[in-house]
Amino acid sequence: MKILVCIKQVPDSFETLQIDERTGRLVLPAGTAFRMNRFDEFALEEALLIKETHRDTLVHALSVGPERVSAALQRALGMGADHGIHILDPFEGYRSPFTVASFIATFARTRRYDIILAGVMAEDTMACQTGQLIAALLDLPCATSVMKEEVHLNRGQITAEREIEGGSREKVQLKLPAVLTIQPGINVPRYPSFSKVMRARTCAQERIRAGDIEVPEPRESSRGIHFPEAASHGVFIQGSPKEKALKLINILHQKSLLS
Amino acid sequence: MENSRIYIIAELRKGRITQETFELLGFAHFIGKEKSPVFLLPGKNTEEPAREISQKTGCDAVALTARHLEHYNTLSYAHAVLEILVKEDEAWICLPHTSMGYDLAPRLAVLLNAACITGVESAGHGSLRRPIYSGRFKEDIVPKTPRVVVTVLPGAFPLCEKRTGPAGRVTVVEVACKEHLSQTLGTEEAEHTDRMIRDAEVIVAAGRGIGKKENLSLVKQLANLFPRSAVGASRSVCDLGWLEYRHQIGATGQSVSPRLYIACGISGAFQHVSGIRGAQTIVAVNRDPHAAIFQVAHYCIVEDLTTFIPLLIEMWAQKGPH
Repeated sequence: MKILVCIKQVPDSFETLQIDERTGRLVLPAGTAFRMNRFDEFALEEALLIKETHRDTLVHALSVGPERVSAALQRALGMGADHGIHILDPFEGYRSPFTVASFIATFARTRRYDIILAGVMAEDTMACQTGQLIAALLDLPCATSVMKEEVHLNRGQITAEREIEGGSREKVQLKLPAVLTIQPGINVPRYPSFSKVMRARTCAQERIRAGDIEVPEPRESSRGIHFPEAASHGVFIQGSPKEKALKLINILHQKSLLS
Repeated sequence: MENSRIYIIAELRKGRITQETFELLGFAHFIGKEKSPVFLLPGKNTEEPAREISQKTGCDAVALTARHLEHYNTLSYAHAVLEILVKEDEAWICLPHTSMGYDLAPRLAVLLNAACITGVESAGHGSLRRPIYSGRFKEDIVPKTPRVVVTVLPGAFPLCEKRTGPAGRVTVVEVACKEHLSQTLGTEEAEHTDRMIRDAEVIVAAGRGIGKKENLSLVKQLANLFPRSAVGASRSVCDLGWLEYRHQIGATGQSVSPRLYIACGISGAFQHVSGIRGAQTIVAVNRDPHAAIFQVAHYCIVEDLTTFIPLLIEMWAQKGPH
């Protein structure tokens, strides 16, 4: 069985990110650290768990982005992926989910994966689209927010439980090949192992230039990023930490919330 | 986009039309001004709910019925609504950003060669605004195709006022049965509702911003200051195993409506915020002044909670109970 896991690299912390008000573009301060999107860690772990129960399974990790994203693939190899694929896209500005999904779908079409996994969303752009778009572009069935899955190779099926509102579960049966987007909490992602990390260093990643992949015109464009308008109804309590604590206690007293 | 018709794909949960469906009407008014949207209701037997919508909103409603549409399924629902939508060269197709909406929207967009813009919270000047980076920033997206699929965040648009006008027209369309590559077998209700949290008057909730599991004791100590209090958590705190899922508050956890909600180190992404809309007073403590939680909090405190909570507890002890 061949499994493809789609991984995105995101800034490690959002607190230091700034915006260039003139261009409406995100500014990554020098020395910004990056890491694997947490949702994708769960997807990769799920692929590795499938590999443990189904012999002769290969797990490929794929990422789209500039030079730096090969570090995320390195981590994936360190966790246990068998192969890393880097679709090199040097562009740092807005890429719509449709464009990214088109890169991945065009690549995956010729490779015949049985299962394609992705995190339910990316922490940075929060679109919840890429996995579903890949499925739709490849005309494959897809289940999102998956909290449990079971592969039935003999029947050529996978059953999945989607987490829906209020924590209820929706059971779906999908014909293989299929795409699943993975909900956090489905498993506990492992840490990279020392021996695999060492091996990953020498392992060549497959590299494909995004410019060599033909994709349709983007269907959305970005007009820019900005900070939200000031809080609509909230009051920022001012003063020293001590003064803030006192003011808050007084407010809670007035509202009879503290006796 | 002047001539675009507006379609709303209604969501039913346990046979009832969700509040998020009615909220979409607010979004439709925003983008379409006077234009009246058309509701589409795929399902096993949706004539009654379609009638309810037409009476409550005055809009036309189409019940798309078939036995195999009893449970939501990406492919069967997509194909049911597609029969109507492919006839429109220009259209807005609106869904709630829920487990149904974000599952279905990208599929529809590909089938209709449409733009797909998800998690939208407002609109204006030809673009749609959506939160990114846990709500720290907003992004304005412009659709470039005549058909546009949009999912709208729950709670972003208020429910429209009750109206007294003529009801809209109700049409029933029987959808032909078709084999699909996936099939939904059914749903199972959640077990982890926690009465302690549901009935609490005060909830002190922890987010990933508390930094480490050990800091949960601060959150618990703060909760202990209040009678009838409980400790809540964001999704990521439960995913990390710091607290059990029965403490989880938000879209996939519990919705709560306490008198006081104190959010500690919670970034305030919509998945969490949608679960605390009923709270009377929200206090947020976060060291990032741009955290999205400050957009919903009534009282905002920019401080590191590992130093602020002990200080707060100490000051409270000094002042003493009155």
